[in-house]
Amino acid sequence: MPLSSAIAASASALDAQRMRIEVAVSNIANAESTRGPDGQPYRRRDVVLSSTPVDADPFGGALGRAQAVGVTVSEVVQDQDAFRRRYEPSHPDADAQGYVATPNVDVPEEMVDMLGAARAYQANLTAINLIRDTIQRALELGK
Amino acid sequence: MPEISDAAILSALGRQLNNAVAKQTTAASNLANLDTPGYRTRDVSFDDALDHELGDVRRTNAQHLAAPLGDGAPVEVQGLQSRRDGNNVQLDRELLALSKAAGDFSRAQTALTAKFRLVRYAINEGR
Repeated sequence: MPLSSAIAASASALDAQRMRIEVAVSNIANAESTRGPDGQPYRRRDVVLSSTPVDADPFGGALGRAQAVGVTVSEVVQDQDAFRRRYEPSHPDADAQGYVATPNVDVPEEMVDMLGAARAYQANLTAINLIRDTIQRALELGK
Repeated sequence: MPEISDAAILSALGRQLNNAVAKQTTAASNLANLDTPGYRTRDVSFDDALDHELGDVRRTNAQHLAAPLGDGAPVEVQGLQSRRDGNNVQLDRELLALSKAAGDFSRAQTALTAKFRLVRYAINEGR
C-alpha cells in the first residue's frame, strides 16, 4: 500500500533530521574542545543527506507508479576548514607563539542549522498525521 | 437519458482515492527531501493526463483499449525557484498538497460510503 510507504518516507526524514540536530548539538558542545582523541582540536561535523526510494516494490516502479522517496544520512563528514586561532598564552594547548587552535565551529551557524532541522522535523510530523488521517478514512469504508 | 452505471461511479470514485493517495505519497516524498541537495520537486498531475487524453488521443473504435488514466508517473515540477543547493522543495506548497489530497480522499470516501449504504439498503430489502 503506497500510503504506508509515504509514512515510511516521512519517518526516514524524521530520522535524518534528528541526526542533523544531534550533529549540530555535538558541534556546539565541542565548540571549545581543543584536544580530541587524536590530540587535535575538534573538527566540525556535517551530515550529507541523500534521497533514496523507500519502497521495495519493483513492480510498481516498473509501471511508473508514484514511488515514495525517502531520505537518509549517507555520511557524516568532517569540515576541513582551518581551525580558528586565539591568542591565549596561558592555555596548556597554546603553541610557541601563544596561539591556541580552537575548533572550526561557528555556534550561530549551528543554531540556524538546528532551527532548520527542527522545522523540517515538524513538517514531516504534520505529514505523517495527515497521512494517518487518510488511512483512518480508508478504514471507515469497511464499516 | 443514458443511465450512469453503478460500476462506473464506483470505479471513478476508486480512481479518485488512488489519485489522492499518489498525491500524498509524492508530497510526503518531497517533504522528506526538504533539505536534500539537488532534489527536485516531483508531482503527479492527473489533470494534465486528462487533457492529454482528450486533446491528443481519441479512440476511433470502441474496442480499442484506452490508455490507462489516473496512473500518472511522477514528473519534475517546472518553474519553481531553486535554492543554492539545487533543491526546489517549498514547504508550504507540499503541506497544501497534502491537505488538499486528504480532502479529496475524504470526499471520495464519503461518496463511496453513501453508495455502499444504498447497496446495503437494497440487499436488506429496505430494512
